[in-house]
Amino acid sequence: MSWIASAGDSPPLEGLFAHRPELLTRYKAFYSALWDGDLVPRRVLELCRLRVAVIHDCAAEWAVRDAGVALDSPEAAALKRGDFAAFAASEQAALAIAERFPFQHHGVSDADVAAAAEAFGDAGAVALMVALAFFDATCRWKLAFDLEERLADLDSPPLHQGALV
Amino acid sequence: MSTRPRMPSAIPGQPPDFGSVMAHVPKLAGLFFDLYGEFWRNGVADPAIKEMTRIRNARITDCGY
Repeated sequence: MSWIASAGDSPPLEGLFAHRPELLTRYKAFYSALWDGDLVPRRVLELCRLRVAVIHDCAAEWAVRDAGVALDSPEAAALKRGDFAAFAASEQAALAIAERFPFQHHGVSDADVAAAAEAFGDAGAVALMVALAFFDATCRWKLAFDLEERLADLDSPPLHQGALV
Repeated sequence: MSTRPRMPSAIPGQPPDFGSVMAHVPKLAGLFFDLYGEFWRNGVADPAIKEMTRIRNARITDCGY
């Protein structure tokens, strides 16, 4: 049970934001662009989103998956352990920043950012940082409002077919 | 902590700051500022409460910007 009643019969995050429909519309437009852009591969975004969920111990965010990426079980287990050795170099560069973003943001180094810019370009590195900030915020919203966990494969987690889950 | 600007400005002649760095991703930036502007312009929360929590958040996260 959440600390706040859902507005209407909506998925948890959608129901939360629906209390402010003007923000909901704009948030979904912004968040869609984050996933639809070609600056950072969707798989990298998904790895980072899930690692941030692990760091926050946010079961509600960990439970959802990007159906288009479809991580396998060993990859998900490695993410949960924080063992990034099997991931590609560009993925490791993104995960190195994701690892520190929620609670050790001052620990993100010049070298970390340079590695991200090398892997994704300047625009990609900026997009990655924006994405990390909102993955972090999503976990904080879900935890602060104690939103329920729903297992789901989504289009652009936590956005799916126009609704925030 | 950063020892130098980590990301160049995307706007010629302007120093790297939040706006000029976000300009690397103009579509994303436009949608973000639309969202953020709505948050500040409207809503049921008193603007003074929003500002107070913004400043307190900056202090907690040790963000001098």
